[in-house]
Amino acid sequence: MFSLTSMEKIKADCNPEAMEQCLLGIGEQDLKALEEFYYRTSTSVYGFALSVLKNTQDAEDVMHDLYILVWSAAGKYHADGKPMAWVLTITRNLCLQKLREYRKQSDIPREDWEVYISNNGQMSAEDKLVLTECLKNLSDEERQIVMLHAVSGFKHREIARLLEMPLSTVLSKYNRAMKKLRKIYGGEQ
Amino acid sequence: MRNKETSENAKIKQAYVNAVPDICDVILSDCEKGKGTVVMMAETKKKKSIVKYMMAAAGMLVVLGAGTLLLNSYQVNYKVASTISLEVNPSIQIMVNEKERVLEVKALNKDGAIVVGDMDFSGSDIDVTVNALIGSMLRNGYLNELANSILISVDNDDPVKGSRLQEKLTEEVNQLLEADGFFGAVLGQTLMNDNTLQQQADRYGITTGKAQLIQQILDSTTGHTFEELAPLSINELNLIIASGAAEMEKVSTLGNASDKAYIGEEKAKEAAFAHAGVAAGDVIYYEMDMDVEKGVMVYEIDFKCGGYEYEYDVNARTGDIVKNKKEIDDDMPRGTQSPSGGTGTSGGTAQAGEGAAGGTAQTGAGASDGTAQTGTGTADGTTQTQTGTTMPSDGTQTPAPPAGSSGTYYHPEQHHEDYHHGSYAPTQGGGGSTGTASGTITLEQAKEIALNHAGLTADAVYFEKAKLDYDDGMQIYEVEFISGNVDYEYEIDALTGAVWDYEWDYD
Repeated sequence: MFSLTSMEKIKADCNPEAMEQCLLGIGEQDLKALEEFYYRTSTSVYGFALSVLKNTQDAEDVMHDLYILVWSAAGKYHADGKPMAWVLTITRNLCLQKLREYRKQSDIPREDWEVYISNNGQMSAEDKLVLTECLKNLSDEERQIVMLHAVSGFKHREIARLLEMPLSTVLSKYNRAMKKLRKIYGGEQ
Repeated sequence: MRNKETSENAKIKQAYVNAVPDICDVILSDCEKGKGTVVMMAETKKKKSIVKYMMAAAGMLVVLGAGTLLLNSYQVNYKVASTISLEVNPSIQIMVNEKERVLEVKALNKDGAIVVGDMDFSGSDIDVTVNALIGSMLRNGYLNELANSILISVDNDDPVKGSRLQEKLTEEVNQLLEADGFFGAVLGQTLMNDNTLQQQADRYGITTGKAQLIQQILDSTTGHTFEELAPLSINELNLIIASGAAEMEKVSTLGNASDKAYIGEEKAKEAAFAHAGVAAGDVIYYEMDMDVEKGVMVYEIDFKCGGYEYEYDVNARTGDIVKNKKEIDDDMPRGTQSPSGGTGTSGGTAQAGEGAAGGTAQTGAGASDGTAQTGTGTADGTTQTQTGTTMPSDGTQTPAPPAGSSGTYYHPEQHHEDYHHGSYAPTQGGGGSTGTASGTITLEQAKEIALNHAGLTADAVYFEKAKLDYDDGMQIYEVEFISGNVDYEYEIDALTGAVWDYEWDYD
């Protein structure tokens, strides 16, 4: 099994080849492969789920469900060099399913990410500032686009496909979002 | 700028990395426990434990001798309350209990087995199961941009419950497909108890749901058989329904069936118009349905132009003309068949004169229709010298199949009238009737007329039928023959030799 240090190193490393290698292992019920896959992808999965659901418990539930699903369905993944797109498509489906359930029950859980971030011991002050501003000042779509680009390393074209938006919309939203963030972070206007 | 952006992205990424709760151990432990079985989602897991608890509870009741309660529990948990079938081409049946938890998932065909794979859904919620199955259909390419339709049928003894479940699933699947990036088309229906349908389903190896859908199409259309429709995919059936060929009362639909695998209505229309030799601007009536002909999806195009009614079947994948038919438009006043009606050739030119009508084009006298037509628009009446026995010399005109050989068309209505008036010969336009030879042609001559019209010779065809028939007060030779893989059917006026009607069709 990977040591904790080596896991730290691969955190959020979305190298597609390495991810596909993991999926092959998971298909053969290899828990070590699942562990590596988790560390490579969980930031994207959680970040994306949080940006859609805006509730940390729900995002965590989706993340849990996602890996259980990957564990059972990895064998069915067709290697096409885009494992992250596969994972995030499933994540998106799980999020939408959750939202639908809530809508039916008219019981949308409150947004709790601000409290979660401010109480998060793992995050530095800068991390908190960056994330809080990112979550607070951007629209849902802008936040998702920035997250997918910065964290998952998605190209704008891939984001457009995942979010079902025209490429031009993704580009303009991304540029607008980055402008806002720069202004907030005190960078260039 | 680029560096700045990279560093900003790096900061954002770092912030997210540190924000993620580490639940790896929990996941690994859950997966370890479930090794060898498929656990779809956390919810499923929870539900499984409830099921286990209920089983345990039921066991205790047995010990206590509470048999009635056990039976009740059994019925709630293990009795099949609804059967849901999902059909794309893969056919899958899901049996659920009263609580809509899955008791069994059955693949009904080979594709269905690929979709289900080794997933075990027992105890899972129906939503989770359907979600996973749709996901698998997408991953395995059964649902794609070219074929996006899925049929959901629900069978429940209680129609209200069945209908509610069907509506819920239809909507959910539609949303799932939308979420997955393409527009799906979902058909939903509640099954009726019908032994005949069950027998048909068994006979053709399809679900009862698909059998019911096909039966509804058969009930609202003509010219189809169960056998013909059974091999079609749900997308193809949906295209037939969506194009208006069939009106479905008992099926709810969401989204549109994909026709991306086909050439599209516009191209089909162009092919038909080009074949008929008509300009789109001259068409006064147009209708298109998607249909199936001998197992091939076709655009069935009907239109009227220049006093004629056209019926075309265009192969939806290749654009080939599979079948065509041209008849005088009964709704048009006689003599209004215009030049645009036919391949530019057409006795149309001749017909241009008022009331002169196609009859003029019949210019017997051996003149090829083409000649007559090009005859500088001479008043038809004057040009015609119908001889009764004279054949139109179409033979020189079009090779088989007669591509838009409208020029060969005679004007049946004219003949009708003449006949009823006791004189078969055209009387309009002062065309002196020349009903020589008492106006009756022989069977051999009728065959020859048909062959000439088709541009074929007797040695190239096999006659299936050639007989004199009495139709609507008219004596008509019905001539049917085959050449290669094309079937020809002709109706030849026994008095004048005029081609009343013809049709050809690929065998």
